[in-house]
Amino acid sequence: MRRRSKKVALSIVGATAFTLAGCAEEQIDAQAYPDLPACVAAANSGGLFSVEECRTAVAEAQTLHVEAAPRYDSLTVCEEQHGAGACGSEAAAAEGGSGSIFMPLLAGYLIGNMMRGTGGMAASQPMYRTANGRFTNATGSSVFGGNAGKATLGAGQFARPPATRGRAPMTRAMAASRGGFGKSGTSRGSYGG
Amino acid sequence: MQKIILPERPTWRDEAKELGFTFADMHGEPYWDETSAYRFTLKQVEDDIEDPATELHGMCREAVAEIVASDALMARLCIPEAYRDMVAESWTREHPEIYGRFDLAYDGAGPARMLEYNADTPTSLYESASFQWSWLEGQLAAGVLDEGDDQFNGIHEALVERFREVFSTGSDLHFTAMGGNPEDYATVECMAWAAREAGLGAHYSDLDKIGISTDGQFIDHEDRVIGTLFKLYPWEDLLRDEYADRIRGSDCLMVEPAWKAVLSNKGLLPVLWQMFEGHPNLLPAFFEADIAGALSGQGSAAPEVAEAFSRAEAALSAGYVTKPVFSREGASVTIVENGAVTEAATNTDYSQHPGIVQAYAPLPDFDGFRPVIGAWIVGTECAGMSIREDRSRITQDLSRFKPHFIRG
Repeated sequence: MRRRSKKVALSIVGATAFTLAGCAEEQIDAQAYPDLPACVAAANSGGLFSVEECRTAVAEAQTLHVEAAPRYDSLTVCEEQHGAGACGSEAAAAEGGSGSIFMPLLAGYLIGNMMRGTGGMAASQPMYRTANGRFTNATGSSVFGGNAGKATLGAGQFARPPATRGRAPMTRAMAASRGGFGKSGTSRGSYGG
Repeated sequence: MQKIILPERPTWRDEAKELGFTFADMHGEPYWDETSAYRFTLKQVEDDIEDPATELHGMCREAVAEIVASDALMARLCIPEAYRDMVAESWTREHPEIYGRFDLAYDGAGPARMLEYNADTPTSLYESASFQWSWLEGQLAAGVLDEGDDQFNGIHEALVERFREVFSTGSDLHFTAMGGNPEDYATVECMAWAAREAGLGAHYSDLDKIGISTDGQFIDHEDRVIGTLFKLYPWEDLLRDEYADRIRGSDCLMVEPAWKAVLSNKGLLPVLWQMFEGHPNLLPAFFEADIAGALSGQGSAAPEVAEAFSRAEAALSAGYVTKPVFSREGASVTIVENGAVTEAATNTDYSQHPGIVQAYAPLPDFDGFRPVIGAWIVGTECAGMSIREDRSRITQDLSRFKPHFIRG
């Protein structure tokens, strides 16, 4: 009897091998801008979007910001997540907001070149600072190196973030919601044996 | 068992690169080395490696039942008190196991001796299951090997079968490893290919990108809920991470299961010796704390092991090895012969942990290299073999991977 497999998987493709498992995600050309003037300036020099599109996209992201920015129960917890000086009260961000709920300040706009209003998608997403000087989206699920520049991103990046307005703000225990695995082993190169 | 010099496949380096096997050379030294290969007879493979490894795994399962039922043993294995129930529960609820790798000392004659069991996070799966396989196929096609030569390597097929057995078609599995390490990643992807071939969905997330949703479920880097998590990251570290106390409430099935924490632990070795003293594939082993005084002649062994110690004393005084309960790639391993330290690992990462003492079984010497046999367990049976050899008597991270073949 033969003691070896008839066939095996031969190649190591990299993490993309995994996404191939499901349906391949649509790729979207996107551009990040720190603010509206940067978008407009780019529009005037042949950028991805027109001035009109810039205005619409920024307004959309601002609405999303009010609806779906992460909300914390204290300024301290917010600044732990987003860095010193990167947070403000809900009252300051939105009319009728609470003075004891805190949100990160809008730190950029991630705009996807896509059909508007496709179900559950928002072409324009607010960006926030992270505590270590990078940028993230409303759900904290993605981290970006900067708030300016071109990228091709999976359509999933443009899913509409769930609303946080009117929901209980996050406490420190809830906010520390990523990166809880891996610290005990970080001094070593390989984790196997 | 012989080491035979063979011509290398002329284009293997290009092939390795093309396939994504980027760590064929490591630390400036060859890692994959096909300038020679080990030859075994079918009888050697089946009678000396395969069957004993399957039997050893069965004995290990008996040891798990013993250990998880004893708070004292869990303490000796450094399982944190807060998580002993979780470890025990994963066993009583039969959380499924996928794979493991025994490291065996074997010289072609006489019984293979179990050095330890990488039951939780064995790596080198890609080299063993895949690249080694394509070496054999390539050398057969090139006429370097003879028609009828074979290899003990059903690892991939056994993994596919195992995934089919454990999970229902279409289930989604998440796979994770620490980012930035191509060796670990290769093992994870190899595992994921098998899962996909078994009709399962496979998703990958770097370990440190895993989060927890506000309702306590683990989520991946794209916020997808993780129902089953294959983690190439050891339980002894998981149980000391911030999320350790979130595992139980997360409703996430962990693979390998938590009970593997007591197998991939050198504390298993004295437990096995206590349960199966004299088994031909085991080496005498004791907790260091029980026999340190007796070994140095300055005291006596703990009463519960005193008799076993006196039966093993002759073997131990010829030579023994000390290892911390947690240790990888030979870290903090010391060899003592006739009372003097004759070899010590340069890496002492794990030396703060309590240790065990195991009788020394020298690895055979083939042209200045000492091979250690990896016997791969998939499910509960041995499914294949791999060999790493090192110039040092302690197999460490500069060891080379050697292909093998069966002839005769």
